[in-house]
Amino acid sequence: MIAALRRAVRRLGALVRRDDVEADARREIAAHLALVEEDYRRRGYADEAAARAARLAVGGVDQVLERHRDARSFAWLEDLRHDLGHACRAFVRAPGVAATATATLALGLGATTAVATVTGAVLLRPLPFGPAPERLVRLVASTPNPGADAPPRPVPVAVSLDEARALDAATDAIGGVGLWSPTVVALTGFDDAGHVGAARVSSSTLALLDAQPLVGRRFGPDDDAGDSGAALLGEAAWRRWFNADPAVVGRSLTVQTALGRRRSQTVVIVGVLPSRFTFPAADTALWLALPPAAGAEVIRAPLLARLAPGATTTAALDAIGPAVRAWRRHGRDVRLALVREQEQLVGPVRPALLVLTAAVAVLLLIAALNVTSLLLARALARDREFALRAALGASRGRLVRQSLAESLILGTAGGAAGLVVAAAGLAAFRRLASPLARIDLGSTGVGWGATAFPRLGDASLDATIVAAAFALAVVVGLGIGLAAAFSAGRAGVGASIRVGGATAAGGRAGRALRRGLVVAQVAGALPLLVGAVLLGRSLQHLAATDPGFSSGSVLTFQVALPAAAYPDARLQAFAETLAEGLRQRPGVRHAGYANQLPMVALRDTAGGLWTTPDASRAPAPDAADARLVSRDYLAAIGVDVIAGRGFAAGDGAGQPRVLLVNEALARRQFPGLDPIGRSAYVGRDTTPWTIVGVVADVRQFGLDRAPEPQFFVDLRQWHGGLPLFPTGAYFVVATDGRPESVVADLRALVRRLDAGAAVYNVARLDAIVASTLTRPRLYAVALAAFAGLGALLAAIGLYGVLACLVLERTAEIGVRRALGASRGAVLTLMLRQGAGLVALGIGFGLVAARGLERALASLLYGVEPGEATTTAAAVAFFVAVAALAVIVPARRAGRIDPLAAIRSE
Amino acid sequence: MPSGDTDRIALLQGSLDLIVLQALRAMGPLHAYALATRLAQVADERLVLNQGTLYPALVRLEQKGWIKGRWGTTDSGREAKFYGITGPGLRALGRETERWRGLAGLVERLLAEGRS
Repeated sequence: MIAALRRAVRRLGALVRRDDVEADARREIAAHLALVEEDYRRRGYADEAAARAARLAVGGVDQVLERHRDARSFAWLEDLRHDLGHACRAFVRAPGVAATATATLALGLGATTAVATVTGAVLLRPLPFGPAPERLVRLVASTPNPGADAPPRPVPVAVSLDEARALDAATDAIGGVGLWSPTVVALTGFDDAGHVGAARVSSSTLALLDAQPLVGRRFGPDDDAGDSGAALLGEAAWRRWFNADPAVVGRSLTVQTALGRRRSQTVVIVGVLPSRFTFPAADTALWLALPPAAGAEVIRAPLLARLAPGATTTAALDAIGPAVRAWRRHGRDVRLALVREQEQLVGPVRPALLVLTAAVAVLLLIAALNVTSLLLARALARDREFALRAALGASRGRLVRQSLAESLILGTAGGAAGLVVAAAGLAAFRRLASPLARIDLGSTGVGWGATAFPRLGDASLDATIVAAAFALAVVVGLGIGLAAAFSAGRAGVGASIRVGGATAAGGRAGRALRRGLVVAQVAGALPLLVGAVLLGRSLQHLAATDPGFSSGSVLTFQVALPAAAYPDARLQAFAETLAEGLRQRPGVRHAGYANQLPMVALRDTAGGLWTTPDASRAPAPDAADARLVSRDYLAAIGVDVIAGRGFAAGDGAGQPRVLLVNEALARRQFPGLDPIGRSAYVGRDTTPWTIVGVVADVRQFGLDRAPEPQFFVDLRQWHGGLPLFPTGAYFVVATDGRPESVVADLRALVRRLDAGAAVYNVARLDAIVASTLTRPRLYAVALAAFAGLGALLAAIGLYGVLACLVLERTAEIGVRRALGASRGAVLTLMLRQGAGLVALGIGFGLVAARGLERALASLLYGVEPGEATTTAAAVAFFVAVAALAVIVPARRAGRIDPLAAIRSE
Repeated sequence: MPSGDTDRIALLQGSLDLIVLQALRAMGPLHAYALATRLAQVADERLVLNQGTLYPALVRLEQKGWIKGRWGTTDSGREAKFYGITGPGLRALGRETERWRGLAGLVERLLAEGRS
């Protein structure tokens, strides 16, 4: 035991005092040989014979030294140091190879790290809502919409607190319920008096989600009646508006609820929730208790539930479904479902993220194959070095270790550089994934469009990711090293020192392997290209979709006004004055305003438009969308009047009430009839309106969503009933020149009208439309980047193989040329070599592309997977890139001078 | 080559150490060549030993502290490193001899059983 310990210490010591020990050993072996030699001479051997005999008896100095080393120290450690040193020197000698390999690996590893970071944060990380967040579910209902091209959109099912408690008590499958409802509020008394995302929640919802206030308390059951007006502040808002002052608890706030009944409410802050509490949306800044009920009214809100441990959504739905159906009088065609919170949040981006993950894995594979091929080429070039070293006593294992050391250095260097690539990639991803950051464009849970990317804020290159990235780099490095060493071994490298030794049998096996690697790279790059073309065409189709309005030279903005001083009537007067003032400005063609803009993600039906009056009409899910507009609004955004007339100066207050419908509503409500001149009723209002015109359909909720039924009312004739501009009026200005040129003018104008007013949400209408394409664009750009890199790497691999081939066959080509082969014939020969590889790779690649196309199907708009044009475009692109990689070496082969080539052999 | 012969070396390892220790105890300090010659003599030339293979054993034994090498001169006036057995080496030799005998006896018994 002690002996073993002593030995371990000395072995370590030998590692440290390596040079001394080595010199001593060498001296000892030399002395030994001298003694043996002397002995032989005494026995009558000649000097030379004695030396040879001694060497035979003892072994060569170097071989014995190698054994000495193995025994006296940790040979592998010393070897590793030696191998790493050797690898570094090799790279310094050939910096081009090292740089190319490192850059290739950095791109592959970096892209992989970036995508893995996003995928991990979005899809894998549990939601920050207490233990077992995967058991949180929402109750939703979907009504099939015959004739619509998209599947029905599930909408949350609202229940009352009593109903929710009854559901909870009725089954063991559910262990807790809560009510929640997203909303938008305006806060008064702060500098930036815009709207903020808010949510009404029951106390049980906060308990269900394990909300832990930073200061103060969360809601208790007493707050559920709503009379206390309790509110919780988000951490970000707390820091921004209250300087993170803990004394904020107990202070009151005046909020204007933008959606729903009460217009102004004074609430008391009871606590602050940390920023990691992201329910129902990441930018929710304020949580309000459920509103107080007025009279006999019952407050209902969407249901959130926590499944009991082990319970399935099916079991829970079976238990509560019938009761909910009865309460809400759902028809047979309405489908209820319990959707997991995580699924609800990230479900829409999962297919795309999985495709991107698979694509980046393929890219990494291509990069790894590329570097393997590069190292293999160098190994073949260093054939003689390896053979020599093998003859000098380096074992096969030692040579493999050498190869591993090199690839490990490349891997870690690539991994380190890859982190930079990953950081850049992540930043690009974030930039591409950020649409206009506005709550009215659906970046919160409130809207319909949800254009922003969920949970992206959680994605960062933290220590875990960095460690994982380096682990991956090491694994890839080792894999490359093993593959290269194995291939080199198969190719006969190091097996022999051949006479003359430049090109012979060893090279042939090596070439075959390198061709295999190139075919694999091409086969990997092709599906990426097919996918990129598909997504690109899909995006093109989306962007080319006519939204039904012209957004090119239209500026939109909103105006924040002190709410107390602006009841609806005055609000409208202000809007009319502002619009009139804008019309006077030079360069302004039209100026108008409305309660909504196209692509703004809030739906407002005003009760819908119907052909018969009904004073007690129930809310209907298929109610048409109401647009309250100024006279000039439709002209400003370029919506065409197809039949009848638009709003005229004479359609003022007190005049006959007129409205416009769009084509979709005309088709649905008046099939086969001319709607013009007919009467229609809005909501529960029994006074008829006359339809005077039909306008073109507008894509209201996204370019990929079919136009929905809409009707338009002139604001001068609107008598209210509901808050006029729930989220503030939207102003539109159509200009002759650049829309931005009127911004300074309009700010001055607004200030003149009311010094307390502020302009916000200034954006071009086309920017708002473009922001709905955020995700399709993100996917298309990411996949195109991966595909471009993959194709480039494959082309480089192709170039490498052919360039080598030309080099190796220089003599043969020279002979051919000398025997009369034309330059063209040689060129054709080399081109055929390249074309063969490309064709084989494309063949395999097309098979793999089928799988990717199927995975992409749900992300496509206007294109079908498997179309010949897509495949043809991808193949054509790759052939064009590959042609460059093939032609350059082929031309070099064609230029070979026969005499010089033969002489060089 | 070292890596290819692990089986044989592992088999020889214990016995070679034992033989070296025993030789050094019997003969006093020896240099590697003398040790090799001595082993060849004792083995009656049946044990053909590449002298180089002695070194791993010498390194191992010295690192365990069982032998100690010192530079000196031979009778013919040449320099050489002489290895002598140490106190711990003597004790280890006793232990190892016991173990070897036990093992050899066991093998012998097993072989005898197989014969009968």
